Amino acid sequence: MTGDQRAGPVDWPELIKTSFGPSFWIFVALAVLMAGVCYAVLGPETFAAAIDRDRDLLADLLPRVAAAQVVAGFVWVLLPRERMSRFLNRHRGRRGLFIAATAGAVTPGGPASAFPFLAILAGTGADRGILVAYITSWALLGVQRIIVWDIPLMGIDFSLLRFLVGAPLPIIAGMLARRLPFSVTLETDPPIGVEDK
Amino acid sequence: MNGLGAIIIYAAAVVLAAVALSRRDTSFRMGVRRALEQSFIVLPRMIFALIAAGFIVKLIPTEIIVGNLGTDAGFKAILIGSLAGLIVPSGPVIAFAVAASFALEGASVPALVSFLTGWSVFAAHRVLIFEIPLLGAHFVRLRMLSVIPLPIIAGTLALIVSGA
Repeated sequence: MTGDQRAGPVDWPELIKTSFGPSFWIFVALAVLMAGVCYAVLGPETFAAAIDRDRDLLADLLPRVAAAQVVAGFVWVLLPRERMSRFLNRHRGRRGLFIAATAGAVTPGGPASAFPFLAILAGTGADRGILVAYITSWALLGVQRIIVWDIPLMGIDFSLLRFLVGAPLPIIAGMLARRLPFSVTLETDPPIGVEDK
Repeated sequence: MNGLGAIIIYAAAVVLAAVALSRRDTSFRMGVRRALEQSFIVLPRMIFALIAAGFIVKLIPTEIIVGNLGTDAGFKAILIGSLAGLIVPSGPVIAFAVAASFALEGASVPALVSFLTGWSVFAAHRVLIFEIPLLGAHFVRLRMLSVIPLPIIAGTLALIVSGA
Protein backbone atom coordinates (compact mmCIF):
# COMPACT_ATOMS: atom_id res chain seq x y z
CA MET A 1 0.00 0.00 0.00
CA THR A 2 2.91 2.35 -0.53
CA GLY A 3 4.63 4.14 -3.38
CA ASP A 4 2.98 4.53 -6.77
CA GLN A 5 1.59 8.04 -7.01
CA ARG A 6 -0.83 7.21 -9.79
CA ALA A 7 -2.72 4.85 -7.50
CA GLY A 8 -2.24 7.43 -4.75
CA PRO A 9 -2.36 6.84 -1.01
CA VAL A 10 -5.76 6.69 0.69
CA ASP A 11 -6.70 9.94 2.40
CA TRP A 12 -7.72 8.32 5.68
CA PRO A 13 -8.89 11.39 7.66
CA GLU A 14 -11.09 12.49 4.76
CA LEU A 15 -12.42 8.97 4.24
CA ILE A 16 -13.31 8.51 7.90
CA LYS A 17 -14.97 11.92 7.95
CA THR A 18 -17.18 10.91 5.01
CA SER A 19 -17.76 7.43 6.40
CA PHE A 20 -19.09 8.72 9.72
CA GLY A 21 -20.89 11.75 8.31
CA PRO A 22 -24.45 12.90 9.05
CA SER A 23 -26.22 10.12 7.13
CA PHE A 24 -24.34 7.49 9.16
CA TRP A 25 -25.71 9.03 12.38
CA ILE A 26 -29.23 9.06 10.94
CA PHE A 27 -29.02 5.28 10.58
CA VAL A 28 -27.62 4.93 14.10
CA ALA A 29 -30.45 7.09 15.47
CA LEU A 30 -33.06 5.08 13.56
CA ALA A 31 -31.66 1.79 14.90
CA VAL A 32 -31.65 3.09 18.48
CA LEU A 33 -35.17 4.52 18.11
CA MET A 34 -36.57 1.29 16.64
CA ALA A 35 -34.82 -0.76 19.33
CA GLY A 36 -36.42 1.45 21.99
CA VAL A 37 -39.89 1.22 20.44
CA CYS A 38 -39.54 -2.54 20.01
CA TYR A 39 -38.50 -2.99 23.64
CA ALA A 40 -41.22 -0.70 24.98
CA VAL A 41 -44.07 -2.06 22.83
CA LEU A 42 -43.24 -5.73 22.48
CA GLY A 43 -41.26 -6.45 25.63
CA PRO A 44 -37.83 -7.95 26.31
CA GLU A 45 -38.49 -11.38 24.75
CA THR A 46 -39.39 -10.10 21.30
CA PHE A 47 -36.57 -7.58 21.67
CA ALA A 48 -34.12 -10.42 22.25
CA ALA A 49 -35.53 -12.32 19.26
CA ALA A 50 -35.06 -9.22 17.10
CA ILE A 51 -31.45 -8.94 18.27
CA ASP A 52 -30.88 -12.58 17.27
CA ARG A 53 -32.43 -11.90 13.88
CA ASP A 54 -30.28 -8.81 13.41
CA ARG A 55 -27.16 -10.81 14.21
CA ASP A 56 -28.10 -13.49 11.65
CA LEU A 57 -28.88 -10.86 9.03
CA LEU A 58 -25.56 -9.10 9.60
CA ALA A 59 -23.56 -12.33 9.53
CA ASP A 60 -25.38 -13.37 6.37
CA LEU A 61 -25.28 -10.09 4.49
CA LEU A 62 -22.11 -8.23 5.41
CA PRO A 63 -19.61 -10.64 3.80
CA ARG A 64 -21.63 -10.57 0.60
CA VAL A 65 -21.96 -6.80 0.62
CA ALA A 66 -18.21 -6.49 1.20
CA ALA A 67 -17.53 -8.90 -1.68
CA ALA A 68 -19.94 -6.92 -3.85
CA GLN A 69 -17.90 -3.80 -3.06
CA VAL A 70 -14.77 -5.62 -4.25
CA VAL A 71 -16.58 -6.57 -7.45
CA ALA A 72 -17.82 -3.01 -7.86
CA GLY A 73 -14.32 -1.64 -7.24
CA PHE A 74 -12.70 -3.79 -9.92
CA VAL A 75 -15.53 -3.33 -12.40
CA TRP A 76 -15.20 0.40 -11.86
CA VAL A 77 -11.49 0.23 -12.71
CA LEU A 78 -11.67 -2.32 -15.53
CA LEU A 79 -14.83 -1.23 -17.30
CA PRO A 80 -14.36 1.08 -20.27
CA ARG A 81 -16.82 3.51 -18.74
CA GLU A 82 -16.63 6.06 -21.51
CA ARG A 83 -17.34 3.45 -24.14
CA MET A 84 -20.19 2.02 -22.08
CA SER A 85 -21.85 5.34 -21.44
CA ARG A 86 -21.51 6.13 -25.15
CA PHE A 87 -23.19 2.78 -25.87
CA LEU A 88 -26.00 3.58 -23.46
CA ASN A 89 -26.28 7.11 -24.78
CA ARG A 90 -26.76 5.70 -28.27
CA HIS A 91 -29.64 3.63 -26.92
CA ARG A 92 -31.56 6.38 -25.27
CA GLY A 93 -34.86 5.33 -26.78
CA ARG A 94 -37.17 2.53 -25.85
CA ARG A 95 -34.54 0.02 -26.97
CA GLY A 96 -32.29 1.15 -24.10
CA LEU A 97 -35.14 0.54 -21.66
CA PHE A 98 -35.63 -2.92 -23.11
CA ILE A 99 -31.91 -3.75 -22.75
CA ALA A 100 -31.95 -2.47 -19.15
CA ALA A 101 -35.06 -4.49 -18.30
CA THR A 102 -33.51 -7.66 -19.71
CA ALA A 103 -30.32 -7.09 -17.73
CA GLY A 104 -32.37 -6.58 -14.56
CA ALA A 105 -34.30 -9.82 -14.98
CA VAL A 106 -31.17 -11.94 -15.37
CA THR A 107 -29.07 -10.26 -12.66
CA PRO A 108 -28.47 -13.02 -10.12
CA GLY A 109 -28.31 -12.55 -6.39
CA GLY A 110 -30.23 -10.37 -3.98
CA PRO A 111 -30.13 -6.62 -3.43
CA ALA A 112 -26.51 -6.91 -2.27
CA SER A 113 -25.51 -7.45 -5.89
CA ALA A 114 -28.23 -5.57 -7.79
CA PHE A 115 -27.89 -2.21 -6.03
CA PRO A 116 -24.09 -1.96 -6.31
CA PHE A 117 -24.50 -2.73 -10.02
CA LEU A 118 -27.16 -0.03 -10.26
CA ALA A 119 -24.70 2.41 -8.68
CA ILE A 120 -22.06 1.38 -11.23
CA LEU A 121 -24.59 1.87 -14.03
CA ALA A 122 -25.39 5.33 -12.71
CA GLY A 123 -21.67 6.09 -12.64
CA THR A 124 -21.38 5.28 -16.34
CA GLY A 125 -23.84 8.04 -17.16
CA ALA A 126 -26.89 5.89 -17.91
CA ASP A 127 -30.04 8.01 -17.96
CA ARG A 128 -32.70 7.83 -15.25
CA GLY A 129 -35.08 5.81 -17.41
CA ILE A 130 -32.45 3.09 -17.82
CA LEU A 131 -31.71 3.05 -14.09
CA VAL A 132 -35.36 2.81 -13.06
CA ALA A 133 -36.13 0.18 -15.72
CA TYR A 134 -33.16 -1.92 -14.59
CA ILE A 135 -33.92 -1.99 -10.87
CA THR A 136 -37.69 -2.33 -11.38
CA SER A 137 -37.10 -5.31 -13.63
CA TRP A 138 -34.73 -6.90 -11.14
CA ALA A 139 -37.31 -6.46 -8.35
CA LEU A 140 -40.30 -7.67 -10.38
CA LEU A 141 -38.99 -10.18 -12.87
CA GLY A 142 -35.73 -11.41 -11.31
CA VAL A 143 -35.50 -14.96 -12.56
CA GLN A 144 -33.63 -16.19 -9.50
CA ARG A 145 -36.32 -14.93 -7.14
CA ILE A 146 -39.09 -16.46 -9.23
CA ILE A 147 -37.36 -19.83 -9.07
CA VAL A 148 -36.60 -19.62 -5.34
CA TRP A 149 -39.81 -17.99 -4.06
CA ASP A 150 -42.67 -17.59 -6.55
CA ILE A 151 -42.83 -21.12 -7.88
CA PRO A 152 -42.47 -23.04 -4.59
CA LEU A 153 -44.90 -20.83 -2.64
CA MET A 154 -47.43 -19.65 -5.22
CA GLY A 155 -47.36 -22.38 -7.85
CA ILE A 156 -46.21 -22.38 -11.46
CA ASP A 157 -49.48 -21.07 -12.97
CA PHE A 158 -49.56 -18.04 -10.70
CA SER A 159 -45.84 -17.42 -11.26
CA LEU A 160 -46.28 -17.46 -15.04
CA LEU A 161 -49.24 -15.10 -14.83
CA ARG A 162 -47.33 -12.71 -12.58
CA PHE A 163 -44.30 -12.77 -14.90
CA LEU A 164 -46.51 -12.18 -17.94
CA VAL A 165 -48.37 -9.17 -16.53
CA GLY A 166 -45.14 -7.87 -14.97
CA ALA A 167 -43.12 -7.98 -18.19
CA PRO A 168 -44.16 -4.56 -19.58
CA LEU A 169 -43.97 -2.77 -16.22
CA PRO A 170 -40.21 -1.93 -16.07
CA ILE A 171 -40.51 -0.23 -19.47
CA ILE A 172 -43.52 1.77 -18.24
CA ALA A 173 -41.61 2.78 -15.09
CA GLY A 174 -38.58 3.79 -17.16
CA MET A 175 -40.72 5.93 -19.48
CA LEU A 176 -42.38 7.59 -16.47
CA ALA A 177 -38.97 8.25 -14.89
CA ARG A 178 -37.85 10.06 -18.05
CA ARG A 179 -40.91 12.29 -17.92
CA LEU A 180 -40.93 13.27 -14.26
CA PRO A 181 -39.77 16.86 -13.81
CA PHE A 182 -37.09 16.33 -11.17
CA SER A 183 -33.43 17.02 -11.02
CA VAL A 184 -31.61 13.97 -9.74
CA THR A 185 -28.27 14.25 -8.01
CA LEU A 186 -26.79 10.79 -7.76
CA GLU A 187 -24.45 9.80 -4.99
CA THR A 188 -22.19 7.98 -7.39
CA ASP A 189 -19.45 10.49 -8.03
CA PRO A 190 -15.99 9.03 -7.68
CA PRO A 191 -15.27 8.83 -3.95
CA ILE A 192 -12.89 11.32 -2.45
CA GLY A 193 -9.40 11.24 -3.80
CA VAL A 194 -9.78 8.49 -6.36
CA GLU A 195 -9.40 10.73 -9.37
CA ASP A 196 -6.38 12.61 -8.12
CA LYS A 197 -3.44 12.44 -10.43
CA MET B 1 -31.40 -19.06 0.71
CA ASN B 2 -29.11 -16.96 -1.40
CA GLY B 3 -26.31 -19.49 -1.87
CA LEU B 4 -26.05 -19.18 -5.64
CA GLY B 5 -25.97 -15.40 -5.56
CA ALA B 6 -23.24 -15.45 -2.89
CA ILE B 7 -21.12 -17.91 -4.90
CA ILE B 8 -21.46 -15.75 -8.00
CA ILE B 9 -20.40 -12.61 -6.13
CA TYR B 10 -17.36 -14.25 -4.54
CA ALA B 11 -16.33 -15.88 -7.83
CA ALA B 12 -16.73 -12.56 -9.66
CA ALA B 13 -14.53 -10.82 -7.07
CA VAL B 14 -11.75 -13.41 -7.56
CA VAL B 15 -11.98 -13.39 -11.37
CA LEU B 16 -12.00 -9.59 -11.60
CA ALA B 17 -9.04 -9.32 -9.20
CA ALA B 18 -7.13 -11.80 -11.40
CA VAL B 19 -7.97 -9.83 -14.54
CA ALA B 20 -6.84 -6.59 -12.87
CA LEU B 21 -3.56 -8.25 -11.75
CA SER B 22 -2.92 -9.60 -15.22
CA ARG B 23 -2.91 -6.09 -16.65
CA ARG B 24 0.36 -5.39 -14.82
CA ASP B 25 -0.49 -1.72 -14.34
CA THR B 26 -2.20 0.16 -11.51
CA SER B 27 -5.57 -1.51 -12.15
CA PHE B 28 -5.31 -3.92 -9.23
CA ARG B 29 -4.21 -1.29 -6.74
CA MET B 30 -6.89 1.15 -7.96
CA GLY B 31 -9.55 -1.53 -7.67
CA VAL B 32 -8.55 -2.49 -4.14
CA ARG B 33 -8.48 1.12 -3.16
CA ARG B 34 -11.87 1.88 -4.64
CA ALA B 35 -13.36 -1.18 -2.90
CA LEU B 36 -11.78 -0.14 0.39
CA GLU B 37 -13.09 3.41 0.20
CA GLN B 38 -16.60 2.37 -0.84
CA SER B 39 -16.73 -0.28 1.89
CA PHE B 40 -15.73 2.28 4.48
CA ILE B 41 -18.59 4.51 3.37
CA VAL B 42 -21.28 1.86 2.85
CA LEU B 43 -20.67 -0.80 5.52
CA PRO B 44 -21.02 1.29 8.72
CA ARG B 45 -24.35 2.68 7.46
CA MET B 46 -25.55 -0.72 6.38
CA ILE B 47 -24.81 -2.30 9.76
CA PHE B 48 -27.13 0.12 11.54
CA ALA B 49 -29.72 0.03 8.74
CA LEU B 50 -29.90 -3.75 9.11
CA ILE B 51 -30.29 -3.49 12.87
CA ALA B 52 -33.12 -0.98 12.42
CA ALA B 53 -34.81 -3.18 9.80
CA GLY B 54 -34.73 -6.16 12.17
CA PHE B 55 -36.70 -4.22 14.77
CA ILE B 56 -39.10 -2.71 12.21
CA VAL B 57 -40.08 -6.18 10.97
CA LYS B 58 -41.03 -7.15 14.51
CA LEU B 59 -43.27 -4.09 14.78
CA ILE B 60 -45.34 -4.78 11.63
CA PRO B 61 -48.77 -6.22 12.47
CA THR B 62 -48.95 -8.85 9.71
CA GLU B 63 -52.09 -10.47 11.20
CA ILE B 64 -54.07 -7.27 10.72
CA ILE B 65 -53.10 -7.04 7.04
CA VAL B 66 -54.19 -10.65 6.48
CA GLY B 67 -57.44 -10.06 8.33
CA ASN B 68 -58.39 -7.04 6.27
CA LEU B 69 -57.88 -8.30 2.74
CA GLY B 70 -60.96 -10.50 2.83
CA THR B 71 -62.17 -12.29 -0.26
CA ASP B 72 -63.30 -9.33 -2.36
CA ALA B 73 -62.72 -9.83 -6.04
CA GLY B 74 -62.47 -7.04 -8.56
CA PHE B 75 -60.85 -3.66 -8.45
CA LYS B 76 -61.23 -3.04 -4.73
CA ALA B 77 -59.16 -6.14 -3.95
CA ILE B 78 -56.50 -4.87 -6.35
CA LEU B 79 -56.34 -1.58 -4.47
CA ILE B 80 -56.20 -3.28 -1.07
CA GLY B 81 -53.60 -5.74 -2.34
CA SER B 82 -51.45 -2.92 -3.73
CA LEU B 83 -51.59 -0.95 -0.49
CA ALA B 84 -50.80 -4.03 1.59
CA GLY B 85 -47.78 -4.68 -0.64
CA LEU B 86 -46.46 -1.20 0.06
CA ILE B 87 -46.41 -1.65 3.80
CA VAL B 88 -44.61 -4.97 4.04
CA PRO B 89 -41.04 -3.85 4.62
CA SER B 90 -39.34 -7.21 4.72
CA GLY B 91 -37.51 -9.73 2.64
CA PRO B 92 -39.11 -12.44 0.49
CA VAL B 93 -39.48 -14.84 3.43
CA ILE B 94 -42.23 -12.82 5.10
CA ALA B 95 -43.68 -11.29 1.92
CA PHE B 96 -44.26 -14.65 0.27
CA ALA B 97 -45.46 -16.21 3.52
CA VAL B 98 -48.06 -13.43 3.75
CA ALA B 99 -49.01 -13.89 0.06
CA ALA B 100 -49.48 -17.62 0.59
CA SER B 101 -51.71 -17.00 3.61
CA PHE B 102 -53.72 -14.43 1.59
CA ALA B 103 -54.20 -17.13 -1.06
CA LEU B 104 -55.34 -19.64 1.58
CA GLU B 105 -57.94 -17.17 2.82
CA GLY B 106 -59.32 -16.91 -0.69
CA ALA B 107 -57.82 -13.66 -1.93
CA SER B 108 -58.30 -13.16 -5.67
CA VAL B 109 -55.42 -13.77 -8.09
CA PRO B 110 -55.33 -10.11 -9.24
CA ALA B 111 -55.13 -9.00 -5.59
CA LEU B 112 -52.20 -11.33 -5.03
CA VAL B 113 -50.46 -10.07 -8.16
CA SER B 114 -50.96 -6.49 -6.96
CA PHE B 115 -49.69 -7.37 -3.52
CA LEU B 116 -46.48 -9.02 -4.75
CA THR B 117 -45.91 -6.27 -7.33
CA GLY B 118 -46.35 -3.56 -4.72
CA TRP B 119 -44.02 -5.31 -2.34
CA SER B 120 -41.42 -5.94 -5.08
CA VAL B 121 -41.14 -2.37 -6.29
CA PHE B 122 -41.49 -0.53 -2.97
CA ALA B 123 -39.81 -2.87 -0.45
CA ALA B 124 -39.01 -0.26 2.16
CA HIS B 125 -36.27 -2.35 3.80
CA ARG B 126 -34.30 -2.43 0.53
CA VAL B 127 -34.67 1.32 0.14
CA LEU B 128 -33.35 1.83 3.65
CA ILE B 129 -30.51 -0.68 3.51
CA PHE B 130 -29.28 -0.35 -0.07
CA GLU B 131 -30.87 2.35 -2.15
CA ILE B 132 -30.41 5.43 0.05
CA PRO B 133 -26.81 4.58 1.04
CA LEU B 134 -25.77 3.67 -2.52
CA LEU B 135 -27.80 6.00 -4.76
CA GLY B 136 -29.15 8.76 -2.57
CA ALA B 137 -32.56 10.15 -1.66
CA HIS B 138 -33.05 12.01 -4.96
CA PHE B 139 -32.96 8.81 -6.94
CA VAL B 140 -35.28 7.07 -4.47
CA ARG B 141 -37.86 9.84 -4.86
CA LEU B 142 -37.74 9.63 -8.65
CA ARG B 143 -38.00 5.84 -8.66
CA MET B 144 -40.85 5.75 -6.11
CA LEU B 145 -42.92 8.15 -8.21
CA SER B 146 -42.15 6.15 -11.36
CA VAL B 147 -43.37 2.84 -9.92
CA ILE B 148 -46.51 4.08 -8.09
CA PRO B 149 -48.96 2.93 -10.81
CA LEU B 150 -47.35 -0.47 -11.37
CA PRO B 151 -49.23 -2.59 -8.76
CA ILE B 152 -52.57 -1.33 -10.06
CA ILE B 153 -51.58 -1.93 -13.69
CA ALA B 154 -50.33 -5.44 -12.84
CA GLY B 155 -53.53 -6.29 -10.95
CA THR B 156 -55.74 -4.95 -13.72
CA LEU B 157 -53.82 -6.89 -16.38
CA ALA B 158 -54.09 -10.01 -14.23
CA LEU B 159 -57.84 -9.41 -13.91
CA ILE B 160 -58.14 -9.27 -17.71
CA VAL B 161 -55.84 -12.24 -18.39
CA SER B 162 -57.27 -14.54 -15.73
CA GLY B 163 -60.78 -13.56 -16.75
CA ALA B 164 -61.88 -13.50 -13.13
